[in-house]
Amino acid sequence: MKGLSLRLENIALRAGAKTEGRLLCSGLNMTMNPGERWVLLGPNGAGKSTLLMTIAGLIQPDAGSIVLDERALTAWQSEALAQTRAWCPQFWLDPFPVSAWETTACAIIATRQELEAARVEEIAREWLREFDASHLADTDVRTLSGGERQRVALATACAQDAPLLLLDEPTSHLDWSHQAVLQRLLKRWSQEGGTVLTAVHDLNLAWTLATHALLLDGQGGAKWGTREEVLTVDALAAAYGVPVNIIEDGGARWFRIDLEGAA
Amino acid sequence: MILKPPPIVLACLLAALLVPTALLIGLLSGSSGWGWPTGDILWLIRVPRVLAAFGTGAALALSGALIQLVTRNPLGDPHVLGVTSGASVGALLALLLLPTGFWFGPEIGASLGALAAMTLVFTLAWRSMGRGLSPSAQPGTVVVLLVGVMVGAACGAAVSFMLAVANDAQLRNIVFWLLGDLNGASLWWPVWVAVAIAFAMSWPRARELDWLARGDAWAWTLGVPVARRRRVAILSACIATGVAVATAGSIGFVGLVAPHVVRLTGLRAARLLLPFSALFGGVFLVLADTVARTIIAPAQLPVGVISASVGVPLFLMLLLRRRA
Repeated sequence: MKGLSLRLENIALRAGAKTEGRLLCSGLNMTMNPGERWVLLGPNGAGKSTLLMTIAGLIQPDAGSIVLDERALTAWQSEALAQTRAWCPQFWLDPFPVSAWETTACAIIATRQELEAARVEEIAREWLREFDASHLADTDVRTLSGGERQRVALATACAQDAPLLLLDEPTSHLDWSHQAVLQRLLKRWSQEGGTVLTAVHDLNLAWTLATHALLLDGQGGAKWGTREEVLTVDALAAAYGVPVNIIEDGGARWFRIDLEGAA
Repeated sequence: MILKPPPIVLACLLAALLVPTALLIGLLSGSSGWGWPTGDILWLIRVPRVLAAFGTGAALALSGALIQLVTRNPLGDPHVLGVTSGASVGALLALLLLPTGFWFGPEIGASLGALAAMTLVFTLAWRSMGRGLSPSAQPGTVVVLLVGVMVGAACGAAVSFMLAVANDAQLRNIVFWLLGDLNGASLWWPVWVAVAIAFAMSWPRARELDWLARGDAWAWTLGVPVARRRRVAILSACIATGVAVATAGSIGFVGLVAPHVVRLTGLRAARLLLPFSALFGGVFLVLADTVARTIIAPAQLPVGVISASVGVPLFLMLLLRRRA
């Protein structure tokens, strides 16, 4: 996999991508390199999804520019972009019957049109197997449970074979064992040279998953860096507005919201 | 629910069998019973009518399939775009204002009405058709549907007004037009041309319409020019519907149901869904029209009566049947 860097230059975002919208963040200057796994943290409405969609190219930032592989995002052809970054949204709405593998196949056909149909199906089923969803491959996606649908969506994002993965709360419906599956796959993804940016809410998951973190505080501020720098008591408490306890365990950190303290 | 792979071979065989059979049944049955009609009846009456029925059914079904895909709405149907109502207004105006027997008056009126309604919908919803990518904006497709329904409602009021002021003879013509009737279909080929144009505009990119139906923003990240695809699909649906309505009046039901019936057989992908919906719609309307003009012969029923009374139970049966 060809690794590539993602640079945010002085990015400012507003809610709803409107100039009169609430300021979500400003002055984001950061580089995400191949092999890094970034988690995107912040309270509800802090702009995590907006930032992911901005990096995907779906909406324009209020200010600043996004540079993907040393080229401004706006200068990319949409076909080339499809081969470079995959975006997995938080919500899916499937109006018509379609099987899980056919959904996954869309991403493969879009990025590798030269493949023959049998090979496309094979790759789609392989990715579903990676996410422990091979038994769902022929099932109508409309009849899947939330977590099953999410695994199909994640398999689809990976099947797109784009080095930059943008995942919007990929674990929101996943049980523990499938969170572990996702973690293992994302680690392999980054070891192969890919870059991962994923919005999560679970701080413990964020810690074990990430090498780096970007924390939006919901009031226009942001903090970014290695996970050790960002996932600190002060920064988290300021962003989420509740006291956070951190238990150090060797090199690891365990996070606990101090509910008694909050009350 | 497990989905089986599409039965492509079976579907092709069935289509190859059913299309000629339906056309033949349409040609052989008439108000005087079964049998091979004489030359003039065959060429001047039966053939144009059967071809008009097939083309109209195909046009409505194709439009329905396209609109369902790009608006991501299983309830999509050609009439929600307001084109049908616009065509009705145009046709009724022609019936009321032009002298009886004026050269293709209602057809021309309907075409102009459909064109006017289509222009209105496109002008009002042009920007929204490109939208739907931003998280907070109202999904563009909802705006298109709402604009279409509103244009339709305005046209409906105009139709009611014309019904109120029409005299008895005009009223009879108007009602038949509103119900959908192939009796007045004097030109069969325009609707075939419209189907061919709509198909040529939409089918080559059918696969991208499938992705669009799963999510417009997601399809955009796969490299699909969402705004352009959606506008082209809606434009082709408008063209096909407009000409279909000008040919045969406002025939309900086919456009909504044909795509669902085809989907239920397993032909889900748009590149199969579009052609087979058109074939199903054509066959269905030929058979419905055959029944409509023979069941109480020598009198004729509007085909809309038959298409709904056969189609509704058929559709409900397919929808509600228990799957093993």
